[in-house]
Amino acid sequence: MTESVLIVEGLTKRFGGLTAVNKLNLSITSGRLHAIIGPNGAGKTTFFNLVSGLYTADGGRVLFKGRNITGLKPYEISRIGIKRTMQIKSVFPQLSVAENLWVTRNATNGVLHPFRSASSDHATRERVEFTLEQIGLTSLAHRAAGTLSYGDVALLEIGMALISDPQLLLLDEPTCGMSPAETSRTVDKIKILAQTIDIVIIEHDMEVVFEIADDITVMTQGENLVSGSPAEISGDERVREAYLGRPEDEDYVEEAAHA
Amino acid sequence: MTMSLMMIRRAMLIAFIAALIAVPWVVPALINKFWVSVIAEIMIWSLFAASVNLLFGYVGLLSFGQALYFGFGMYGVAIGISTFGLSFWPAFGLGIVASVAIALVAGIFAVRLTWHYFAIITVVFSLIFYFFAVSVKSVTGGDDGINFTLPPTFSFGGYTASFSNETFQYFFIFAAVAFCFFLMHRVIQSPLGKAFVAIRDNDTRAELIGLNVYQLRLIAFVMSGFLAGVSGALFAFFGRYASASYMFYHVSGEAVVWAIVGGAGTLLGPVVGTTLFIVIREVVSTHWEHHSLIVGVMAILVVILAPTGLVGLWNEWLARWSAREKVPATRTSLQSEP
Repeated sequence: MTESVLIVEGLTKRFGGLTAVNKLNLSITSGRLHAIIGPNGAGKTTFFNLVSGLYTADGGRVLFKGRNITGLKPYEISRIGIKRTMQIKSVFPQLSVAENLWVTRNATNGVLHPFRSASSDHATRERVEFTLEQIGLTSLAHRAAGTLSYGDVALLEIGMALISDPQLLLLDEPTCGMSPAETSRTVDKIKILAQTIDIVIIEHDMEVVFEIADDITVMTQGENLVSGSPAEISGDERVREAYLGRPEDEDYVEEAAHA
Repeated sequence: MTMSLMMIRRAMLIAFIAALIAVPWVVPALINKFWVSVIAEIMIWSLFAASVNLLFGYVGLLSFGQALYFGFGMYGVAIGISTFGLSFWPAFGLGIVASVAIALVAGIFAVRLTWHYFAIITVVFSLIFYFFAVSVKSVTGGDDGINFTLPPTFSFGGYTASFSNETFQYFFIFAAVAFCFFLMHRVIQSPLGKAFVAIRDNDTRAELIGLNVYQLRLIAFVMSGFLAGVSGALFAFFGRYASASYMFYHVSGEAVVWAIVGGAGTLLGPVVGTTLFIVIREVVSTHWEHHSLIVGVMAILVVILAPTGLVGLWNEWLARWSAREKVPATRTSLQSEP
């Protein structure tokens, strides 16, 4: 499959004098897990915020499966099938784990029934139970999400992405702040997800990136420095200079590439 | 929630409703007749506080302008009867439609904003209409208000039922308020209500999972206007009177205090808060003119010591109690081990 699920053309976002994303061009191929890396402040999260509609672009456009989604509202983009997680874990803290999934499952319905009891919706309830098992949180189903451990919140976020049947999933540093055990658990989940869903992932952990990515894009100063396979990226001189330029870091990328 | 907790709650609710039904017979016998109408008034103001609660407790929007919709409900009834000569039900309908319509108009602007900006714009809206109502004296009667003679509620053949019968008045108000609380309960338990709470918890996330946050906030705002409008219409029937003074933001602020002290985000919190403060007002104001000092001190104490309100405190206490009940069972199972 060489069909592009997401095409970004000349995308630009300025904050006052700062150009966070500068005429970014990018093509995400369907069926391949695409990682975006780059130093802090390279515009990675801004790029996600533009695609998901939280920010309005100052220029350029985003095409999702050939449809121009530039300027759509976040909920409209979500309903088209693009879902994302946040860098800082973001769930509904006072709702239970099951309710978090429940409300996510129903969020894309245009009309929410005002009087029918939510608990009488059997189809949704079964799907919630199924997802709870998938992410391994069945035993915590009735705990308020705000009381979960960090790793469990991350799993819940992935569950919320799963239950909404996304077509394209944007993961913003999913393993950030996780213990090694939690990281490997999350990486396993992402690998399984990637078999059926197109995923774009922002990640700082090079081990994770080189383990799961089919394609890598390196961003610097809001621009696409280079896109390519992990082997191409790890061998690219410009990447070394721009992103891993410091001598003490040089062997890191090679190490990761052979991991 | 465990079964026993649910049963305790259900039993308390049934006892509460039974007590309210018994009021017209029991209260005159134990205290005096005057308190029957005080309790009827408490029910009306509880519904008004519930309109604040729906917005603040379930959607996270703090409105300081609910008196506007209360006032439109009042004036809909009063102008309907005194100017247009409407009978009871059409006047009731006019009051509700008027408050829902103005809530829709104000909501379209207000729910674009959140937090203090939202609070400010709701106050501004209610002030605009307050001064408008005061100035067009020919229509509204200004601060003097409009007095009217209440037409009968039902009349078939020779039989008529009207608010001049105090027991009928009490039960009509009870039924209308109970029905509104039932509606609100259904909404909170529905998919729509879950979406409201999701927005209250995390509006950015709500938008990202596909909820149209603006539209849902507007729906909640109009629903809240409906609750305030019904309470205003009932209060007009109850007092045979409507006045611009009930549209002042001081009235809105009282409802906010009642809802928060009682417990925002709980269905019956506003009932508890409203009851507490109106009972204090009725008991203390005959002896001491500065009764609002007590209200202020109590409000501050509750906000500091029980941020979830009195009902929230009670729920926590119940939950802790039921958890402690389970402890002996755990202990015996531990003791059976060597």
